Amino acid sequence: MLVPCPWCGLRDAAEFRCLGESVTRPDPVGVSTQQWRAYLYLRDNVAGWVTERWYHRMGCRQYFLVERDTRSNEIRSHPADGRQPR
Amino acid sequence: MTAQRRFAGRTSAVMSERLGAQAAEVIDRDTSFTFTWNGRPFPAYAGDTIASALAACGVRVFSRSFKYHRPRGLLTASHLDPGCMLQVGDEPNVRGAHRQVQAGMQVRSQDTWPSLSYDVKAVNELARAFLPAGFYYKTFMSPQRMWPAYERVLERFAHGGDAPTADDVTPGRYDKRHAHPDVLVAGGGPAGMAAALAAADAGAAVMLVEEEQALGGHLRWGDAAELPQLDAMRAAVASNPQIEVLTNSVVLGRYDANLVAVLQRGLSQVQERLVKARAKTLVVAPGLIERPYVFAGNDVPGVLLSTAVRRLVNLYAVKPGHRAVVFTANGSGDAAVTDLERAGVDVLHVEDARAGGDLVRVRGRGEVKAVELGDGREVQCDLVVTATGWTAPVSLLTMAGDVPRYDTRSARFRPDPTGLPPDVLATGGVVGDGTLEELRAHGAATGREAARRSAVVASQRGRQSTSTVGSKPSVEIPALPVSDHLELFRSRTHGIVDFSEDVSSKDLYVAVAEGYRSAELAKRYTTATMGPAQGKLETVNVVAIVAEASGRTVAETGTTTWRPPYAPVTLGALAGREREPIRRSPMQPWHESHGAVPLIAGAWVRPDHYGDPAAEARAVREHVGIIDVTPIGKLDLRGPDVSRLLNLVYVNRWSKLEVGRVRYGAMCADDGVVMDDGVTGRLGPEHYLMSTTSSGAAAVAEWLELWLQTDHPDWQVHVTPVTTAYASINVAGPRSRELVARLTDVDVSAEAFPYMRVRTGTVAGVDGCVLWRIGFTGELGFELHVPAAYGLHVWETTLSLGADLGVRAFGVEAQRILRLEKGHLIVGQDTDGLTRPLSAGLGGLVSVDKDDAAGLPELAWQQQYGDGPRLVGLATSPASVVPPEGSQLLATDGTTCGRVTSSRLSPALGRSVLLAQVEASHAGPGRELRLRLPDGRTVGAVVTDGLAQLDPEGVRARG
Amino acid sequence: MTASRPWGNSGPRAALAGVRQSFARRGPDRYSALALLRHGLTGQTWSPAWRTRDLRRSYPVVIVGGGVHGLATAYYLARNHGITDVAVLDKGYLGGGGSGRNTAILRSNYLTPEGVRFYDRSLDLYAGLAADLNYNVMFSRRGHLTLAHSDASLRTMRWRAEVNKLSGVDSEVVGADDVKRLVPHLDISDQTRHPILGALYHPPGGIVRHDAVVWGYARAADRLGVHLHQDTEVTGIEVSAGRVTGVRTTRGDVATPLVINATAGWSSVVASMAGVRLPVQTFPLQAAVTEPVKPFLRTVVVSGTLHVYVSQTARGELVFGASVDPFASYSTRGSLDFVEGLAGHVLQLMPSLAKLRVLRQWAGLCDMTPDFAPIMGHTEVEGFLVDVGWGTYGFKAGPVAGEAMAACVATGQPPDLIAPFGLERFAQGHLVAEKGAAAVGH
Repeated sequence: MLVPCPWCGLRDAAEFRCLGESVTRPDPVGVSTQQWRAYLYLRDNVAGWVTERWYHRMGCRQYFLVERDTRSNEIRSHPADGRQPR
Repeated sequence: MTAQRRFAGRTSAVMSERLGAQAAEVIDRDTSFTFTWNGRPFPAYAGDTIASALAACGVRVFSRSFKYHRPRGLLTASHLDPGCMLQVGDEPNVRGAHRQVQAGMQVRSQDTWPSLSYDVKAVNELARAFLPAGFYYKTFMSPQRMWPAYERVLERFAHGGDAPTADDVTPGRYDKRHAHPDVLVAGGGPAGMAAALAAADAGAAVMLVEEEQALGGHLRWGDAAELPQLDAMRAAVASNPQIEVLTNSVVLGRYDANLVAVLQRGLSQVQERLVKARAKTLVVAPGLIERPYVFAGNDVPGVLLSTAVRRLVNLYAVKPGHRAVVFTANGSGDAAVTDLERAGVDVLHVEDARAGGDLVRVRGRGEVKAVELGDGREVQCDLVVTATGWTAPVSLLTMAGDVPRYDTRSARFRPDPTGLPPDVLATGGVVGDGTLEELRAHGAATGREAARRSAVVASQRGRQSTSTVGSKPSVEIPALPVSDHLELFRSRTHGIVDFSEDVSSKDLYVAVAEGYRSAELAKRYTTATMGPAQGKLETVNVVAIVAEASGRTVAETGTTTWRPPYAPVTLGALAGREREPIRRSPMQPWHESHGAVPLIAGAWVRPDHYGDPAAEARAVREHVGIIDVTPIGKLDLRGPDVSRLLNLVYVNRWSKLEVGRVRYGAMCADDGVVMDDGVTGRLGPEHYLMSTTSSGAAAVAEWLELWLQTDHPDWQVHVTPVTTAYASINVAGPRSRELVARLTDVDVSAEAFPYMRVRTGTVAGVDGCVLWRIGFTGELGFELHVPAAYGLHVWETTLSLGADLGVRAFGVEAQRILRLEKGHLIVGQDTDGLTRPLSAGLGGLVSVDKDDAAGLPELAWQQQYGDGPRLVGLATSPASVVPPEGSQLLATDGTTCGRVTSSRLSPALGRSVLLAQVEASHAGPGRELRLRLPDGRTVGAVVTDGLAQLDPEGVRARG
Repeated sequence: MTASRPWGNSGPRAALAGVRQSFARRGPDRYSALALLRHGLTGQTWSPAWRTRDLRRSYPVVIVGGGVHGLATAYYLARNHGITDVAVLDKGYLGGGGSGRNTAILRSNYLTPEGVRFYDRSLDLYAGLAADLNYNVMFSRRGHLTLAHSDASLRTMRWRAEVNKLSGVDSEVVGADDVKRLVPHLDISDQTRHPILGALYHPPGGIVRHDAVVWGYARAADRLGVHLHQDTEVTGIEVSAGRVTGVRTTRGDVATPLVINATAGWSSVVASMAGVRLPVQTFPLQAAVTEPVKPFLRTVVVSGTLHVYVSQTARGELVFGASVDPFASYSTRGSLDFVEGLAGHVLQLMPSLAKLRVLRQWAGLCDMTPDFAPIMGHTEVEGFLVDVGWGTYGFKAGPVAGEAMAACVATGQPPDLIAPFGLERFAQGHLVAEKGAAAVGH
């Protein structure tokens, strides 16, 4: 699979580490234990298009977002600038 | 001529079946040599395959079938021939009809005992009625304890080549290569060659891959009138500098984004080479594979496909038989008749399926004796040729996403072009039929279009996405006609469907009747298509017969799913050369030449000890020792916001650390589990040096970057991994201050350089060094970080300057003993994947009074609820017992309450020292537990007061 | 091969017709060597292993997923609790998911006491399964070796061995020489990149014929009256006032108060139909098989460090597996990286295997949970139960999971054996400590 790094272009997936579907980290102050653990453990795990974070480990060492269809592994750049990875 | 004599082959191996020169032959009659077959010498010409050389001498039986050990001969005379899997030297499962024979080659039949002719296991055939497919599911069930014995019996019949011997003395050399062709053409027949030429003319760099020894596909053994065109195309390809040709090579698979794996064989320098080609476009031109016909006796030696016969006659000048009956439904069968007559074979009868003819049964055991036709007539013959249809080898296309559809009119599964991604095209026989001109025209247009698309892909790969083809007008590819073909899968008798697995159509009927009705279930139950050809010869017949048996159409019953590799590939070729690097510190040469026993610690090799770890530990406690700790993770942190980052990632408070000070910190992830620990020192107002565990160095660097890039891009912090930029030496022991003073210009007096401080300066004449006072071993000690290039110099200087002080090197094992005597934990050994700070003895370190920190809510929750085990020290009784790490701890009622995480014999104390994870309710000081040793005995273990069992006040380190 | 074969010809058949009729319509045949003999002599066909049914409009229990877990649950519901009015629905053919794609390794040498107890119960069930189901599942207890390439690894092996022994499971740490004795083809020299220091040896572990387990359970469940529905995809789950009222399928709607999600790979998709979110991410797990050679490897060999496991079937093929793919996906296409890495690691362990040829690679889908332990029992939706999150260790647990889920349905309470695996443990912060043993443990 080729991953579209916003800085380096399309590179082989072996150069990267995938961090999984992009989840919003709750504010740790004031969050309930239930909500915190939902953030830690529950996932949508969608069979379809997902926004996920990748890290270009053997390259520019930047984190970024992409969109991927988990059924076909078709992958595309994040529509908003993937360089803002949160 | 009795069957037995035929079985044994001619007593004198001469080429009795070799014909005169044929126009397209590939043998070189001027170069002949001998090889052995089952121990007997046979002649061959250069260019012969093993099968053709043997067939030229009249050999007709090459193997025994898997389950029933029936004699088998040639069927397809191609790479896929199931009757011709042989052992060559120490190489099992060699395709005899494809492998070229070499002088002196030792070839044997596989799995025949005592010999090919008189195989004892053929007795199975008598039991055939009682051993249908899947019979083993219905028996051997009880008594259960007999299963191992039953299994040994079944294993006796396991079919395959010799197992490798444990000490293989002929390691092959394998290699890999990366390629980036614009267009990769899989298949070197007329359409493939036309595509390659057209793509090259359009400016593309082309790689053309062909499975056979030479380009040409079916032209090589086809209509002799087309040979001049073949020669011209070959010459054009050979002279085109844009085309790289790989023959005797096979495309193994097409992976995501056109990563194409090609296996190159027949090389001189290496056994095999795996070419990993990232093609921009892929043109698939594999031609067609001829299908066998299913009828009673269709596996008797002497039943061949029309393409087999044409290959034998035209390529190898071999007469496949003497009196033939040909059953034909298409032009290939008709052409086979012509070729046979030209070869002097007496074609007794041509049975035309298009006129309603059929074959029902072959008579004969070791060889064909007669054939029964559809109308009941019997013809005595020794050769039966069938031409009943074609299978499109769509595997590469299905790997690219194509879902083939069954076309009743042409009686085959055909690719669906709309299912292909834009960077994959198909041409030639796999797409349709046609004259040579039509195939070439289709191939050329496809090649031009492939070149056009490759240019688009090239520009896309410089950009962001892998989709869409572009706006330039595409090349119009003329449609190939598809000839009608009769649907001929099975006669009205039952015969073998999968030759390799010995599965008959009757087996498939039985499977369907027993409820295994889907094509997949029928295949699994009977093991049809699980053999070396992986379905290429048999899948369509299987699907058709399952359809027939279950009253459905072929289209309803299933499609063909193909998995890589397209052809079997050796583990050696896939592995290539070993390329897993190992890290060595600059002092490693010194360790090796001083008798260090190596310890592989993750990516590093380290000295475990130099012969006597206990003595090394004693030396540290009594005088001074030095240890190479270069693998410790080191991160250089700079910027005004470093302390905010430290406060975020460490569980303790880090908002104020003065310049020159060092602090210990532990890190947790958002789940509150201890992830790493180390010390961080402040070298300047905006300059820090962080240390991590050796195995966590990379992970921590990525972790810091994650926070900085995703959560706090506004913070100014630069993180630079410097683990290998510094060689690190820990100098420890009561005389360490004296020794370090001799090395450095830094003032190392107790007043000027207290415990947990960091200084920079010169060491052994080397500038830019960092020194800090920490106490992992519990002794007075200094850790020196010197620029790596000078590591060995500093190491050796330290040893020579400290000789009179009794300095010696100590290794990882001694360090483990020393730190254990002091109760210092090792993350990943005394903690595991669930250990939280409280369970690591770090509860006191945790500060939850922060705006944000990794795992903050979990840390707060732990403080409130405080559950989980505790890290404790243990004293065993008897005190000399040193239990293995991992030993279980039991409460007085016998229930498990913990485990030993660290355990050593302490030279300083003369007894064992232990750390353990114990349930909180059993972790109070003085608590008595039982410790279970591996042999089942238990000894006593008492929880100590505090973790340190030596110098609990920590006086020695702070001196 | 003479014309007197009783296939499709008259003559001998007619003579035996009377004999056959007395056997006909007796019901499902019992399998045995004697029955094979009889069928061989008479040419009589066997009755189908399971029947094709119409999909009724309602069932008291609907199980989604026709793999080993779903089928075993149905079987034990019928056999142990007399609950036979059960439908098992599968979107494809029986056992077409994980049950048909795994490498069929059985063992119980887990790290935690609750894990050991659980998987050992499964091994006990496997040991008697062929006789119980009257279907030969070919469980071959040939020994299981988990190699240790570092002292940290040896320490974990010792931990596992001691926990195993305390639970009465046969496991021991052995040295490199013993390893070599058990598997002569292993390279135990110190010249390799990751020298073998020892191993955890588990004699009761072994391999089984995974398809046979599925078929055996299906046949036995069918005999007891369970309805098996293939090619029946669940497209929705009806939930009303917090409880399940039915499922929608491609063959029509079914009313039911109880649905068990026994899928693998699709568990999140199915759970979301009921409005339930799971702590699961789906990853492909790839495997490969070689051409058959004569049997030479009797023990199952696993290396955690090298992420590879190897076994040899009775047919002579070597079966390989490794760890899950590095990113979540629902695609089972397979990658070149996988076979290259796998081959490299296999040859590091056993260099003499270089000339063996890989025949086929494939993949299945694994639902990975944060603590490498499954999720079994109730959810926040009443009537919606789960038996999911089976990661890379689902097949070995089929029997015990089925037995336990059946008990859970019958009694309304999860049995003690599976209490540690409830969905609520994540919210409670009580994750199971199996991470050490499960990752590339097979």
